Amino acid sequence: MIQKHHSRLKIAFVPLLLGSYAPDMMSKWFVYGIHIGGWDLKASDPVQFHRGWPGMGFTHSLLYGVVIALLFWRVLGSKTWAISFLIGQWAHAITDTGDTVGTMLFFPWTVHIHFGAWAYAGQTGRTTDAAAYFSGPGAVWDLVWIVLGLYSWRVLTRSYFEEHVFTADAFWSKANRFIPVAALLVMYRVAFFYGTSRWIAWSLWAHVVHHYPYDISWGGPHWVHAAHSPPLSSGQLAGVLGILATGVAIFFASRLEVGRRGWAAIRSKT
Amino acid sequence: MPSKRQLTVAAGYAAASAVYIAIGVWYTDVLLSFWVALAYLLLVVWLVPTGVRRLF
Repeated sequence: MIQKHHSRLKIAFVPLLLGSYAPDMMSKWFVYGIHIGGWDLKASDPVQFHRGWPGMGFTHSLLYGVVIALLFWRVLGSKTWAISFLIGQWAHAITDTGDTVGTMLFFPWTVHIHFGAWAYAGQTGRTTDAAAYFSGPGAVWDLVWIVLGLYSWRVLTRSYFEEHVFTADAFWSKANRFIPVAALLVMYRVAFFYGTSRWIAWSLWAHVVHHYPYDISWGGPHWVHAAHSPPLSSGQLAGVLGILATGVAIFFASRLEVGRRGWAAIRSKT
Repeated sequence: MPSKRQLTVAAGYAAASAVYIAIGVWYTDVLLSFWVALAYLLLVVWLVPTGVRRLF
């Protein structure tokens, strides 16, 4: 959708998807716990492990996205893969600031940025966590993206895939040596299919099968024992605002510089 | 507006989604993995129809 609205920006779908899953890829299984053979593996403090430091919380930081994106750029030589991964990972890290624990967005600064819109309940286990998430504002947030996806249905068509997605990334043509386009198209569509289907399935499971109550009030659902990060002190808030102001200033300064170079190029031609 | 062919494709995916949801509600482990969803969708929307078309 980003590419649809910003035709100059080239986005590769696969690294975008990888980036969006990256923060939880290495940690979520250990948060909920798994059973392998006779072994039960689970974090002793799931919240600390998932979002904290020491722990895997750094995977939800902006810096982590930048480091992996630079690795992609350096190792694969693809700026498109780097930028696409960065967008996906940042989207995840920023979105997770919406819950009651939040993320260490500005790691190595370990303060948790959190808006507390929906309850963080990862420590309660995967089913209660799912029931809570799909009962609160988090479910509404996901629904917004599903509706936006349906509204932008053209990005899921075969012609869009062939004209914009396939051509934006050499991954698809390389994969096409072994896999037909019809199967690649299914692979492209699966992200939306999975997101939408699991939203409906978990909602049915939580509200039709198990009758968990909806509570879409701020910080909800309040029936679950949510984990919380402490509120930011005034000094921390000033620090966050300072970082954001610096980021905005760098962004506009770089745009001005690009604009100056553009004008210089035009003047040199005339 | 979507064409008739696009609506037919969408209906196919909706049917695949309905089955996936039914399985997922009954056995929630299915809902946890993106890879399971990918394997399921490839099987139902591409592999089986391709196999059937080749047979008949």
